[in-house]
Amino acid sequence: MKLLQLLRPNLFVGGLILVIMVFVALFAPLIATHDPVLDANLIYAEEPPGGAFLMGTDEQGRDIFSRVIYGARISLTIGLVVQLMNTCIGVTLGLSAGYFGGWWDEFVQGLTNLMLSIPTVVFALALMAVLGPGVTSLLIALGMTDWAYSCRISRAQVLSQKSRSYVQAAQTMGYGRFHIMFRELLPNIAGPLVVIATMGIGSAIMAEASLSFLGLGVVPPAPSWGSMLSHAREQLMVSPWIAIFPGAALFLTVLGFNLLGDGLRDLIDPQGKARRA
Amino acid sequence: MTLLKTSAGCLRSARLLLAATAISVLTQFSPVMAQDPIPGGTLHLPAPYSSALKSLDPHITYESQDMAVSKAFHRALYTWNSAENRPTLDLATAVETSADGKTFTYKLRDNAYFHNGRKMTADDLIWSYTRIMDPQKGYPGSPMISEIVGAEDYAAGKATSISGLKKIDDFTLEITFKNYLEPGTLLFEAVTAILPKEEADKPEFLSHPVGLGPFRFVEHVEGSRVVGEKFDKYYKPGQPYADRVEFTITDEYSTLDVAFRAGELDATVLSGGAYAAYKADPDLSKGLIEVPELFTRHMGMNVQKAPFDDVRVRQAINYAVDRDIIIRKLLKDKAFKATGWLPMTSVAFDKDRAPYAYDPEKAKQLLKEAGYGNGFEFEAMVTDGESTLGVLQAMTPFLAAVGITAKPKVVESGVLLDAINAGEAMAWFRSNGTGPDPVGALRCFDSRVSRSACNRSGYADPKFDAMIDAASSDPDPKRRIELAKEADGYIFEQAPVWFHNYNKAVVATQPWVHGVDSNVTEAAILEVDQIWLDENAPGRQ
Amino acid sequence: MLMVIARRLMQALLTVAVVVTLVFLLFSVIPGSFVTSLVGEKRDIDPRVMARIEEQLHLNDPLPERFGRYVADLARGDLGSSFSTRRPVIDMLESRIVASFRLACAAILFAVAIGLPLGFIAAARPGSWIDMAAMMGAVSGLSVPGFWFGLLAMYFFSLQLGWLPTFGYGQGGLRHLVLPALTLGIGPMALLARTTRAAVLEVRGADFIRTARSKGMSETRIVTRHLARNAFVLVLTTIGLQFGSMLGGSVVIESLFAWPGVGSLLIQSVSLRDIPAVQGCILVIVLFFLLINTLVDIAYMLIDPRIRYR
Repeated sequence: MKLLQLLRPNLFVGGLILVIMVFVALFAPLIATHDPVLDANLIYAEEPPGGAFLMGTDEQGRDIFSRVIYGARISLTIGLVVQLMNTCIGVTLGLSAGYFGGWWDEFVQGLTNLMLSIPTVVFALALMAVLGPGVTSLLIALGMTDWAYSCRISRAQVLSQKSRSYVQAAQTMGYGRFHIMFRELLPNIAGPLVVIATMGIGSAIMAEASLSFLGLGVVPPAPSWGSMLSHAREQLMVSPWIAIFPGAALFLTVLGFNLLGDGLRDLIDPQGKARRA
Repeated sequence: MTLLKTSAGCLRSARLLLAATAISVLTQFSPVMAQDPIPGGTLHLPAPYSSALKSLDPHITYESQDMAVSKAFHRALYTWNSAENRPTLDLATAVETSADGKTFTYKLRDNAYFHNGRKMTADDLIWSYTRIMDPQKGYPGSPMISEIVGAEDYAAGKATSISGLKKIDDFTLEITFKNYLEPGTLLFEAVTAILPKEEADKPEFLSHPVGLGPFRFVEHVEGSRVVGEKFDKYYKPGQPYADRVEFTITDEYSTLDVAFRAGELDATVLSGGAYAAYKADPDLSKGLIEVPELFTRHMGMNVQKAPFDDVRVRQAINYAVDRDIIIRKLLKDKAFKATGWLPMTSVAFDKDRAPYAYDPEKAKQLLKEAGYGNGFEFEAMVTDGESTLGVLQAMTPFLAAVGITAKPKVVESGVLLDAINAGEAMAWFRSNGTGPDPVGALRCFDSRVSRSACNRSGYADPKFDAMIDAASSDPDPKRRIELAKEADGYIFEQAPVWFHNYNKAVVATQPWVHGVDSNVTEAAILEVDQIWLDENAPGRQ
Repeated sequence: MLMVIARRLMQALLTVAVVVTLVFLLFSVIPGSFVTSLVGEKRDIDPRVMARIEEQLHLNDPLPERFGRYVADLARGDLGSSFSTRRPVIDMLESRIVASFRLACAAILFAVAIGLPLGFIAAARPGSWIDMAAMMGAVSGLSVPGFWFGLLAMYFFSLQLGWLPTFGYGQGGLRHLVLPALTLGIGPMALLARTTRAAVLEVRGADFIRTARSKGMSETRIVTRHLARNAFVLVLTTIGLQFGSMLGGSVVIESLFAWPGVGSLLIQSVSLRDIPAVQGCILVIVLFFLLINTLVDIAYMLIDPRIRYR
């Protein structure tokens, strides 16, 4: 009963938001009214929303609407790639740790604890300082620092599934260890992992925005929502629209992923396996 | 009867009215009587440009906000006199110049006391200047002191003291310099402050400074504020007028803006956006002080790499970009268009020189002559900021219109500096201090000066070197200024940089604050011993 | 139990050691150095001065030497001196830790004060519109970017309405604490609301089962009590974890609000390449996290004796 009631709003609203975002990102050149980087004319600097500029212009005279649209591309791409990297690392480590046990398990657990002790933003900050600003460094810094949670969950799941009959059967049949891990176990524990991955995309997008906000992420003049917000600070008193729209876009996107994740969790993992680690 | 009385009454009233009107008219047009400074109250001033102070030891730091705070606690031999726009004696009462023009004999004050009660003598100056030359420490004031004869020898370990500093008696000091110069331009900043030896050597000095300034240190809340209280034995009688001073440390212009509007700050520096807003406001616009600072903002070009090795290309860039609209729209009019390397308030500024006009056709023609009729591409390394990346982005459409493609590469300042010093960067944005000594400022194009020192463009022109040598070796100060002016004109024509603007700092003051000066060397450094608050000031409660 | 605590402490020490080494190595390969960062926007520094500073701070010494010196100092409790201010890092951190701690406490108090009741209210009528609204609010709170929320709050409450100061620590009063604490606390508040709701629902579920069966089934009473304890522990754990990661999580918010805490010092020091200060900040952040984590674990063990022997 409760399931059905929660199912529709979360999944529906989240899914809808994301479909719109993906659509916008894919068809950005058709939707945007101006070029987000090159169309910069100082004559139109800091115009309020209206007329040719749906969301107004920024301090360089660029159309904010177009920049927000193209910003979706940056955020979604980075978010997806980063989360993919993190999930791969986390699942591989977690699966193998749970399955093999022994010193490898101890090592992975120690590593996971270590990663959890260092706040992600701090670690990413330090890495970005070393690697320098730019998308590649961003992917490295973010894609290799947020795998601890999925690692823990996969490991816990493997431990509880290890003694199940299908695993025993596969072992008796002589299937290789990697086959068992990735072809037998993984599909059976995918449920909670999908939930984590979905919400992880949201936090990856947020992390990218935070770093760009601090000036260490996507390099201007590329239209990253985070760096747009960072520059909006100076003009907040006079031209608040520069801050409102990119932030709203960021908020909606992350909200979409969180809602979707919630909905998926209610669907796939109602016992909350993803919560216990 | 009544009629008569009434008419008499009328007349009387009329006379009274006339008298009253006369008095009010007269007081309107009578010369404004300068109000006498009222002592007391707490000054609330900003320490802007950074979120925290680097150091309370004035010898260590060359940062603007640290120097603004040091003005309250410390003093140097000279001080910047904003009214006369030049350095004047502060810790000395008189100076005599020798016949050869390189030795100066100072009659020091005998009424200057350190905050710990001890009187200042010539020994303190000698100790302070010697400390600055300490080869174990990298004090930013050392280039200034190294102009004194024997300073370099001391730093190299060849001497145990600086020979050019001679104590005649407790209150007479003789300083000999290596070249002809105006000593005031070297010895007025806080990096050359006079400190008490017995305090400066203690480790607490870094958090509890002791100096000669009008205020005595009270407390420092890291990243937040610095407080000082009036020093009774300050050598200017009756000064400082205020009882306390509180500096708010922040790099956020919005904080300063809001605090000022709320009356929590007596004065503040404004950002471009705030400047535009204050100018438009009938009340706020009254207390604005516009300060043409001695800084030149520019885009440096690596003149040793093509295509910037061709003077026509460099001039073309100067003709191609419309500075006016950038200054008006991006910088909110908070700058003065540059007409040379030396800024408006420099003694060697040529006010008759015309700037490069906005002439894209001329730019295209020059490019064609230089062989770049089809334009070219270059990469500009910039840090992320309004005056760096922001300006580059504003320039881009103008450059594109004459066929030049400017590609931005955003890096951190350390990386940028390394690239410039290695001669690898093509173009970069910077704001150089260009004063108060004009010859010193022009040395940035002296071929004998290294990239890491100031000559980032790698400019090497024997003709210019000769002009600089002539300007610095002429014994007549007026002639030195003339020669500097000529050298500046030459550089303007050779255009090793894209001349952008001279910084316009804007200080906003509250109606109850008086005595705030307009310091062209750094607007945020206010002369705190002359600021006073009238009865309306909240700082009096 | 003491064995477990001892083991935890050993783990914590090991973690700290690894983090410290990692950070040191990381910053030794960083491009740009402290000296180059000194050349600011406005004033040139003479290269001779730069060379002397490099010498003075031993910036060019070989890596093993610098590391050895660092570890030796650390063992004595000396965190070194900041390159920038030349003062001992410990002194600089003192006031910063206080500022960050105040912010974290205020934020967690806000989170608990709003989040817990919200979760209870939502759980009181599951499936109702109150529940949906509360949970939508919670999800929004989790999704909202902190710095955006902070900027907007600043715009409305400070710049437009003038009720609160925009940034800064001020005199340390409450007025300056409000906006940053609100911004920092909104994520944890949302998470707490959800966790509380889930916890309460679980307990009620068991309750329901209990009354559905016949009376006097002592076994179910134990189950319910266990569940209630579990639920309480879950909420407590969440509060603890959120609080523990606040020092590190407040980096962006401190930067935004010019709050003179550890986070803003960290960012400043990274851009200045002031390595001792950076290491000091990271050390404090990690230690704080580990400390709170260990306290939470101990509380966990005290409350639920079944966990003790794991």
